Amino acid sequence: MRDYDIIVIGGGHAGIEAASAAARQGFDTLMITQSLDAIGRLSCNPAIGGLAKGNLVREIDALGGVMGHLIDDTFIQFRILNKRRGPAVQAPRAQADKFSYSRLAKETLEKTPHLSLFMDTVTNLLIENGKCIGVVTERGWNISAKAVVLTTGTFMNGRIFIGEYDAPCGRLGEMAAIGLGDNLRRLGFTVGRMKTGTPARVRKSSLDFDELEIQDGDEEIIPFSFENEEIIRAQLPCYVTWTNDETHKIIRDNIHRSPLYGGKIVGKGPRYCPSIEDKVVRFPERERHQIFVEPEGNGTEEMYLNGLSSSLPEEVQHKFIRTLPGLRHCEIMRPAYAVEYDYLDPTGLYPSLESKLLENLFVAGQTNGTSGYEEAAAQGLMAGINAALKLRGEEPLVLKRTEAYIGVLIDDLVTKGTKEPYRMFTSRAEYRLSLRHDNADLRLTRLAYEKHSASLERLERLNDKIQKMDMLKSVIKSYKERGKNGLDLLKEPEVDMAYLESRVDKIKDFSLSVKREVELDIKYAGYLKRQETEASKFDRSEKILIPEDINYDAIDGLSSESREKFKLIKPTNVGQAMRISGVRVSDVALLMMYIKTRSQNGFTT
Amino acid sequence: MDAYTTNEPIYALATPYAPSAIAIVRTSGDGVINLIANVFSRKEKLIKAKSNTLVHGCLVDQAGDSVDEVVLAVYREGHGYTGEEAIEINAHGSLTGLKRIFSLLESIGIKQAKKGEFTYRAFMHGRLDLTQAEAVEELISSKSVRGQASALERLEGGLKSRLLKIKSSLVEMLASLEVQLDYAEDEILEDWVMPREEINNIIKALEEMIRTYSAGTIYREGAKIVLAGSTNAGKSSLFNLLTKEDRAIVSPIAGTTRDYIEAYTTIMDIPVRLFDTAGLRDSDDVIESEGIKRSERLIDESDLVILLISPGEEEHITWKTKTIVVKSKNDLEKRDGLAISTLSGEGIGALIERIHEELLNGCDNSESGAISIDSERQRDLLVKLVEMLRFILSNENESVDIMALFFQSALSILGEITGEVTNEEILDTLFSKFCLGK
Repeated sequence: MRDYDIIVIGGGHAGIEAASAAARQGFDTLMITQSLDAIGRLSCNPAIGGLAKGNLVREIDALGGVMGHLIDDTFIQFRILNKRRGPAVQAPRAQADKFSYSRLAKETLEKTPHLSLFMDTVTNLLIENGKCIGVVTERGWNISAKAVVLTTGTFMNGRIFIGEYDAPCGRLGEMAAIGLGDNLRRLGFTVGRMKTGTPARVRKSSLDFDELEIQDGDEEIIPFSFENEEIIRAQLPCYVTWTNDETHKIIRDNIHRSPLYGGKIVGKGPRYCPSIEDKVVRFPERERHQIFVEPEGNGTEEMYLNGLSSSLPEEVQHKFIRTLPGLRHCEIMRPAYAVEYDYLDPTGLYPSLESKLLENLFVAGQTNGTSGYEEAAAQGLMAGINAALKLRGEEPLVLKRTEAYIGVLIDDLVTKGTKEPYRMFTSRAEYRLSLRHDNADLRLTRLAYEKHSASLERLERLNDKIQKMDMLKSVIKSYKERGKNGLDLLKEPEVDMAYLESRVDKIKDFSLSVKREVELDIKYAGYLKRQETEASKFDRSEKILIPEDINYDAIDGLSSESREKFKLIKPTNVGQAMRISGVRVSDVALLMMYIKTRSQNGFTT
Repeated sequence: MDAYTTNEPIYALATPYAPSAIAIVRTSGDGVINLIANVFSRKEKLIKAKSNTLVHGCLVDQAGDSVDEVVLAVYREGHGYTGEEAIEINAHGSLTGLKRIFSLLESIGIKQAKKGEFTYRAFMHGRLDLTQAEAVEELISSKSVRGQASALERLEGGLKSRLLKIKSSLVEMLASLEVQLDYAEDEILEDWVMPREEINNIIKALEEMIRTYSAGTIYREGAKIVLAGSTNAGKSSLFNLLTKEDRAIVSPIAGTTRDYIEAYTTIMDIPVRLFDTAGLRDSDDVIESEGIKRSERLIDESDLVILLISPGEEEHITWKTKTIVVKSKNDLEKRDGLAISTLSGEGIGALIERIHEELLNGCDNSESGAISIDSERQRDLLVKLVEMLRFILSNENESVDIMALFFQSALSILGEITGEVTNEEILDTLFSKFCLGK
């Protein structure tokens, strides 16, 4: 077997982005996956996007990633969420056709030049002089590479639980990857356990649709990819139902049979996406919980019961699921289950996602303690880009909290770590008003082009958009009403772009995305300006780099707590140092003075 | 994190926080000259002033009222102590006046400096006449005073718990907004409703606190302490020791101090006016007996009396003012109780602690708030918080994303007293309050 520039372990959402990002840069890349048929599987909910997550997808696209295209080509329902709650925090979400999505993902990888796919299981890493130089597989291959990206998802020592039943799987019916986790432990990685879960799938033809509320998609579709202008497609509805007293009683009566409550599962599960037994136990006063019934695709009868994830025994699941209106006669095709898996403490990574312990090893996705396809893909993309940049001998691409949700995600992970599966939330982003989904290209595409990830075509598209936006602004500005120009009018709450369009014919010539962008820019100008001031303050401390070889023991007066934390996290700049929890303000000041002294004495900083 | 910065406008009092003839308030940072010019009677003159020059005029507040007549020392960038654009305000040293100046500076966006921040900036700007050691030392010593949430730690119990309660209600309000932004409208079905009543209650509580801050207790103005005792009990020696000066004439002859003398000092951060009185004894000397009369009047008006008892003397208190009885000249004869020797210094530390304790006991601590320069700043922050909350109430129709910004601002104002509110804290509240996740 020939050797590669970059090896990507895993074919999930992180692996897809990592492998295609590395190959896009022209490096010979190998993706090793346990199953070629499982590439890009949506293991849990059949949807991509959502609040904050939708922003991630659009950022991935703006950076040259593939997720935006994959979902645009395969969705069966599209919605913009939070239309009533302020334009700055809206985000797109789409229901995916699971099978098309996965098939298209594989096809996309197969069509990518410089990318090879290989089915095997990685059991160990090859190491030489403290650097990762390749992988060892279950079937005995030793494959060498200059950099390795690890994206194992829920498969590393994965174990699934359904009541008293448990089995070594990463997904139901799919073998866990055994061996790698233990070898990583032996190498000195901090390995922990996390838990997540997925609900049952029921058969569409067995549902009582007259008892379900219908939830339709939006008429207007905003493509995830900035390379798609317009999508017209027939959409499938989702459905809504509710749990009731009877459901809750069955769950309470059987709670002792849950591996979560029985203590069999040690990994920490997500608070933001609790199992139905968690909801019933933690919120006893709630009379009912909302459940969404979502199609898994066009050519399948399987329906996903969003909100009903559980690890109770199957016969209990059968009982409580059939208490819900619409589901009273349902056929259960797959049970709900919990899965527990190994993850690596992400504070062991640099912001480039390269391991501090083992050079040339990059880690991304659920392996870093996150949850969600979008979070995984975002990290995979950055790991792939940075592995390639490393081989080029260039500086890594590290996005700032002020410029992308991806920046917030990775900074949180490597600076603070996580105690539960980490999900992106808008409330994690301090500068969310500027991090809108619609302006991801304005924020990131140029940067990605400079780092060899986005194509020239994307850059030209962006430049064209910027030009159009300027043109539209001058068209609006030249319109006058009540002694005010159009820009000032647009700032008024009652005036929107549609109104101006009814007055100024020329506005019709502009595309929807340009109009939307300009409208938000102007309406939010005051707040954006304030946030910019904050952001530039923030950026100042990001720019003060901490020398890699800094000796924290040589800094007089540091508190021992801060000293230990600095040594552990190895912050790359002063901004990151400030965000480490529990570090004192005065210790950061001492650190800055120390850096300053060193640079004055002619050391490099 | 509220970090040490360079170039942002800051101020600090450079002279001790005690009543005095002149006090100097230092400011430093980009734009301080223009900022201060806006509240200065001779705006143009100040804006045009060359570096290292003095400008005389008045500080005036937003309403146009004069705050103080001052002399401003102007330093253009690269010239002052910090190396930044700077103004040193030479003001009159009354505490009330200083507080008005601080409020004025805060109102134009100049923030109070952290301990050691001026030295830190001087260092960072390469003012090489400074040793790093000096700055480092200041920073290290600042840890005890300026650690995280230290401002909160220094608050008195009652005030602290009330502020924390307000903080957690505001955190809950923000969480109830954030949940609308973190979860879609199909998951969180209810629209956000402004908790008017709750906000009004918070405003009421804050206003009450602001009033107590303004009440003008002895702690805000400093305490009056009188040294009393029979003649030659060692009052003047103690006076000199506490004020660290040789102001009072000390002699072994009884009746040396005929009138009273006063001096300003601080006892563990509390500004104190200390009075040394004529000894209390019957005297035929007209001047001396007049002095004694005055001493008695002084005792009546004071907050605390330190009664010195010489060896062999009996305690004899004829006044109502709170009194600490101290056995003096302990070097001559050892006795039980609080005893000092001004010669050996023995017992002085204990006395100072006792004075501090008595002063704190003297008032209802939960009402009076902290006894430092911080308390004025805290009061101003609370006023700002009330303004922000009123602003929120009057902007009910803003969308949820903007409303969340307003609440974040409110919390960051409060955070300057109670410690920063982190994203994690909001999420924790959100997960514990709302049943989420489909």
